[in-house]
Amino acid sequence: MRLVLSNIYQSFAGQTLFTIPELTIESGLAVHLHGPNGSGKSTLMKIIAGLNKPTNGKVERIYDRAQEHQRPAVIYLHQQAYLFDTHVRANVEYGLKLRGEQNPHKVDEALAWAHLENIQHRAAHHLSGGERQRLALARALVLGPQIILLDEPGSNLDMISMERIREMLNDLNQQGTGYILASHQENMLSQDCAHNWYLRDQQLITDKD
Amino acid sequence: MDELWHTLLQALAQLASGDESLWGIVGVSFSVSLSALLIALIPALGVGFVLAYYRFPGRWLAISIVNSLLAVPTVVVGLVLYMLLSRAGPLGDYQLLFTQPAMVIGQIILCFPILVAMSLSAFQAADQRVLETARTLGANRLQAFRTLLFEVRFALMAAVVTAFGRIIAEVGCAMMVGGNILHYTRNITTAIALETGKGEFVQGVALGIVLLALSLFINMTLGWMQSNSRVLRQMS
Repeated sequence: MRLVLSNIYQSFAGQTLFTIPELTIESGLAVHLHGPNGSGKSTLMKIIAGLNKPTNGKVERIYDRAQEHQRPAVIYLHQQAYLFDTHVRANVEYGLKLRGEQNPHKVDEALAWAHLENIQHRAAHHLSGGERQRLALARALVLGPQIILLDEPGSNLDMISMERIREMLNDLNQQGTGYILASHQENMLSQDCAHNWYLRDQQLITDKD
Repeated sequence: MDELWHTLLQALAQLASGDESLWGIVGVSFSVSLSALLIALIPALGVGFVLAYYRFPGRWLAISIVNSLLAVPTVVVGLVLYMLLSRAGPLGDYQLLFTQPAMVIGQIILCFPILVAMSLSAFQAADQRVLETARTLGANRLQAFRTLLFEVRFALMAAVVTAFGRIIAEVGCAMMVGGNILHYTRNITTAIALETGKGEFVQGVALGIVLLALSLFINMTLGWMQSNSRVLRQMS
């Protein structure tokens, strides 16, 4: 799957936030999106995810296989993951239920992958910061996305949690899932990104530029 | 004092005996109020959602009107509805005056603003990430809305319980457009008013006990919901 952004123009309160004439995002890429606070990283990620529409321009999803249409191909993870007001397992099951899929085995696998199998019946809002991020990743992984967008995933996490998230991201990437990680600073997670993009001075600079 | 105590015991005995006339009156109250609540609920939630999430010209005016309607006396609603439904009124041809449907319409008007205002607050207090998270995990608009309803369910239940409490206990509108007809439009509150006027306190006290028990149940339910809801705790 590829995402093709064309003639993207985004403004905020009458001011230009950024302009991106053209950008192609291939699944499987591991990208660190740099940019100072307020440069529009979150807005760009939400545009890529299809959650926000740009002021002008379009985002096209080009699928290589027909079955990719059936699932959310691009999943956006908030800086602080929002967990539904239910238990851990039901959070992982959420996306599967939406598409009418009952697959307890897949849910078990995702919970084990995120080291959450022992607390799967705990209320999600009782989880720690690291557990919340892992649950958000497991909830995304179970849907088999092509690209995951992580907004400042390292903020407020201790080293052990960061290490676990790092392992999970590497694991995902090896399975062919791409990810874009927006962060204004370098951290343990951004070190593994093969590509560095910069959002500054209202422009997106990729390593092709 | 002995007289009061005697009346109370008689009232309890009447309730316990399953008095058909008394429980019939309770049945009218519940039938009318639950019908009004069920009819008003879905449109009111829709209006609350639109007011919370969409920006359009006149939005503030709509919210102000809803908030103003919260405080409208029930007799004023009854008066306006009476004029509309009476023979000479614009809706007189439907012959709804002194019928249960007229009472239902009156109670819809009374509970609608409560449901809109409280659901609006619930939706506004809900985390803005709910819809985005649902959408990014594959929910369509309707599924995302259902997820939002689930996330604010306790606050919405509190709205329903509050609205029900308001309409089951109102007397002015029910009396004016219902006409207090025995076995048809006589409900708990209009019966209490009538029996008290006649000096027959036993049935009035028995019906009052039903209303008080209901009020206690509603308040306990609200308290339980508040202790279980993040959204309600944020609102309070």
